[in-house]
Amino acid sequence: MNSKEKVKSARRFDGCPVTETSAGIPLKEVYRPADLEGMDYRKEVADPGEYPFTRGIWQNMYRGKLWTRRVFTGLGSTADTNKRYKYLLEKGASGLYCFGDTITHQGIDPDHPLARGYAGVSGVSIVCLKDMHALFDGISLEDVSVSFNNPSMAAVVVYAAFVAYAQNMGYDLKKISGSILNEPIHLVYSMYETNAKPLGLAAKLATDVIEYSIKNTPRWHPIAPNAYDLHEKGANAIQEMAITIAIMEEYIQRMLKRGYAVDEFAPRVNVFGCACDMDIFEEICKFRAARRVWARTMSEKYGAQKPESCRLYLSVHTSGNSLTVQQPVNNVARVTLESLACVLGGLQSFDPAGYDEGYYILTEHSALTSLNIHNILAYESRVASVADPLAGSYFVEWLTNKMEEEMFKVINKINDMGGAIQATESGWIGAELDRELIREQQEIEEKKRIIVGRNEFVVSKEEEVPIMVGRDRPLEEQMATSEKRENEIRRLRETRDKKKAKDALTTLGEEAARGEAHNLIPLIMTSLRANATLGEILGTIRVANGATYDPYEVLHGQI
Amino acid sequence: MEDSANRKIKVVVALPGLDCHDRGIVYLSHILRKAGMEVVYLGKFNTPEHIVNTAIEEDADVIALSYLNDHLYMLFFPRVVELLKEKGCGDICVIAGGRIIEEDRPKLREIGITGFFGQSTPVGEMIRHIEDRVKSERWVEKS
Repeated sequence: MNSKEKVKSARRFDGCPVTETSAGIPLKEVYRPADLEGMDYRKEVADPGEYPFTRGIWQNMYRGKLWTRRVFTGLGSTADTNKRYKYLLEKGASGLYCFGDTITHQGIDPDHPLARGYAGVSGVSIVCLKDMHALFDGISLEDVSVSFNNPSMAAVVVYAAFVAYAQNMGYDLKKISGSILNEPIHLVYSMYETNAKPLGLAAKLATDVIEYSIKNTPRWHPIAPNAYDLHEKGANAIQEMAITIAIMEEYIQRMLKRGYAVDEFAPRVNVFGCACDMDIFEEICKFRAARRVWARTMSEKYGAQKPESCRLYLSVHTSGNSLTVQQPVNNVARVTLESLACVLGGLQSFDPAGYDEGYYILTEHSALTSLNIHNILAYESRVASVADPLAGSYFVEWLTNKMEEEMFKVINKINDMGGAIQATESGWIGAELDRELIREQQEIEEKKRIIVGRNEFVVSKEEEVPIMVGRDRPLEEQMATSEKRENEIRRLRETRDKKKAKDALTTLGEEAARGEAHNLIPLIMTSLRANATLGEILGTIRVANGATYDPYEVLHGQI
Repeated sequence: MEDSANRKIKVVVALPGLDCHDRGIVYLSHILRKAGMEVVYLGKFNTPEHIVNTAIEEDADVIALSYLNDHLYMLFFPRVVELLKEKGCGDICVIAGGRIIEEDRPKLREIGITGFFGQSTPVGEMIRHIEDRVKSERWVEKS
């Protein structure tokens, strides 16, 4: 080596190069009392547990109840998932998470021609009532909350199956708790869009779940809109919360039209599933601002009187998109920071992503690491001991105010267009998300956004810290799993009381044609008890509403 | 008549199967258009048959496939190549991206699939790769 060649540090900057938030809000070098001039503590911030809940929804926050410590779960078979649930409960999890497989989200059955290879892949397959029995065998539903990640029309069937199962087992419906995603509007521009159409029908079915739930499963959260997917598809922190609140207004208005007073249902439709990305202060302020926007919307726009109608429960899956495939061990640091932001932001529940999320669904190792991030934050770090510890920071309060202002701008724009369904169908929201997605990607490309190991501080594969990551199942195994599932459902169709199933579906179809006011949950439960399947139930409802039986138009009725 | 060696590169961009992770193809389409290529964007939920038929009807130079969710790309990607051959359109280049695991790449390369763009592939590299493949294909065509 030539002695003139010296090793240079790989650092690029001596000063921090960042001068704006991830959403593009310009930042000053320092914030001072003048930045908060005129701010009224009691009106705008207020103590934790008090309107407008900027500082959190409970007076003593985590001293009263720690956040629900969930870990992402959803493995091939219902029996595998059941085993993982028991493992996580033993290790200290306090809530269970159920992620449906691709075809459950799509609302099609495992023997649908397009489902080949997909049943039980990257999620659990829920098709019939028997599946709920297998999934929750040996787990007391009165002691643990279950969070279902079913966003599409399929949610109505999954919820009905869960309630029917709870009844079969003799649980007190008043005691079961948990949530279901159940929000189809966002699907149009985020994922699984096929099963959100027709959008009006999808929103009607989601409203059926809300209506049935507030009467029968009062501790259940019947809708938990998916702000997460919006974020992962491009939405910045402001858009993520603003669009979600605008979407929720659709359901609030439907429930008002069905004759309910806002305070009857609002306390149960106030759980959002969000993302938490790497801009830690922006995320903390996003949570604080969103609580205030929600509280003000409920109180000032819809006239809610009860404080519980104005409380917004926030839950998070830390951003998968923020993780790297390179040097997966670094993701433990990312997920920990994001989880810290969740705690400092006063969340009710979150699940730290697995460090190997870029590879496959969590292994037992990465699930344990995620669970221990919870445990370290909750029990070792002492960050949970004081409610909203960042309040009063000139910067945090200023950014919270700024984000509130920006969120209201987006919400007002959507309302001016006639609401979230119109803003979706016109393509406006989709275009907004694409623009932000492209901006973010370009900033990564130009190294305006540094991602360690991805666009800077890159090391060769050999230099990476060895760490175990999840592996895809080989194709043959994936096909075999799916085929086994397909056969199970075929067998169910052959061995069930065919007349009973057919009669139940016929009755359901008649009721489904009667319009908005006819809640379909009771008859969906009857159909499930007659061993009808997810695809059949949704197909019947779709046909009754003038849509095709099969969202993909391959099948034309099954029985 | 347009000089066949210099005409605009046309790319059909699609996710096959039921994978819904379309972030990558949204961005890819944007950068290909910016680089002056013509993009036929099929988005999500495509059968291999639909992708191939579209590419033939559109007289495309390239099919860009993406897949992220699971392992079924090993079913769909080879099927696309097979259909192209069956229809006598083996000259359409197939490139792939998303989350294609290392162990599968030799098999895919063997049947002519290249690229394997991921999260951190620089934009310039993707564009160059597509241009190079099309150039060599057009060169073969001419000679």
